[in-house]
Amino acid sequence: MRNLLLFIEKYNRIILFIILELVAVYLISNSYKYHNTQLIKGVRKLTLTWEGVISNVKNYLRIKKINDDLQAENTLLWNLIERYGLKTDSVIIQVNDTLHGVQFEILPAYVVNNSVNKVKNYFTIDRGKGDGVDVNMAVISIQGVAGITVASSDNYSIVMPVINTDFRLSSRIKSNDYFGSLNWDGRDYRYAVLHDIPQHVSINEGDTIVTTGYSAIFPPGIMVGTISDFKKSGSDFYTIRVRLATDFRKLTYVKVIKNRRQQEQLNLEKEFQ
Amino acid sequence: MINQLLRYTIIYAVLLLLQIFLFNNIQFSGYVNPYVYILFVLLLPYKTSGWLLLIISFFAGFIMDIFMGTPGMHAGATVAAGFARPYILRAISPRDGYLPDTEPSMALYGFNWFFFYSLLVVTVHHLVLFYLEIFSFESFFRTFLKVIFSTVFTVIFIIFAEYIRKGR
Repeated sequence: MRNLLLFIEKYNRIILFIILELVAVYLISNSYKYHNTQLIKGVRKLTLTWEGVISNVKNYLRIKKINDDLQAENTLLWNLIERYGLKTDSVIIQVNDTLHGVQFEILPAYVVNNSVNKVKNYFTIDRGKGDGVDVNMAVISIQGVAGITVASSDNYSIVMPVINTDFRLSSRIKSNDYFGSLNWDGRDYRYAVLHDIPQHVSINEGDTIVTTGYSAIFPPGIMVGTISDFKKSGSDFYTIRVRLATDFRKLTYVKVIKNRRQQEQLNLEKEFQ
Repeated sequence: MINQLLRYTIIYAVLLLLQIFLFNNIQFSGYVNPYVYILFVLLLPYKTSGWLLLIISFFAGFIMDIFMGTPGMHAGATVAAGFARPYILRAISPRDGYLPDTEPSMALYGFNWFFFYSLLVVTVHHLVLFYLEIFSFESFFRTFLKVIFSTVFTVIFIIFAEYIRKGR
């Protein structure tokens, strides 16, 4: 306070001068439209420059976050490529057939209707026969398995999700390749049950469950969920509770996967049944 | 003290009338607008303290603004002149300094001293005034030319007025 008073005493002339000049400029800008606009223009130019500097600095500080996001997205895309068998690190062979070696076709779709609180849940996607979607096609979300198409009209398809008690999915434990059958017990939409894993297999909580691809619907190796807990029932098999990777309550964007060799596989298998 | 107050009031009134009825009508080719009333700020006593000088200058300009319908412009210019005056006085002080209890006048300190004194203060005043009027640096040189011409004419009139005061 003392210093402030000393400061004012020392520079009182300059302070008073600035105040009086500001009063004068205020009077001028109040009574002349032209001066007013000039003043506003000047102030705006100043603030714009300053805002530009600030936003530059902000962007620079956010670079790490942006980089992380891009990296995560990159990893996701690489995984997708890997998953669909397009090995880019091998020698690239140019072929005119764009579908050469492509077993699975992917079609993005939006969920337009959804339910999670029934025993037999279904959801609807905005792709139908007109887009090449037919029954018995796999539907996956970004996180993992979502369901199987059971009916389709021209523009829409009905999908039976994992959380429908009629749903069966052949899945395996990624760490030891034992496979079993996964279905839903009709209770919590976040958990499903995996059966038929023999008790001599060692499993741990948190182990990843992926699809087998045996049904010729889902491609192999797609994320289903993780083991949440397990118990040994009276029989020779575990009852494993699986935390599903897909959050069905938040389902908005899915991909429909068409297996181009499905019919071929089924026809061949039919001969031996 | 009262005497002096009256004296300066009369000086200001005379300058105000001269400014409004005579000098405001001089519009020589758009470059010459002498503002002679600034003589009032020139003539204030030496011992006037800094802040009082600023306030007197402000109101001297403000009253001019009221009569000329230009709120703020002359006030801003005279405040700048009042702010610059002590520095100018210090810079051009005569060898033996200023006599106490006097005012800066040609009668006491001679033509040369008064000429430089009025030239510098009037230049400051006119610079601020004309740039406040334009309020941009777009036509910088045109305005600067106007400042120079107007300053020359104002100084001529001020010195002429001092001769009349001296001869009285």
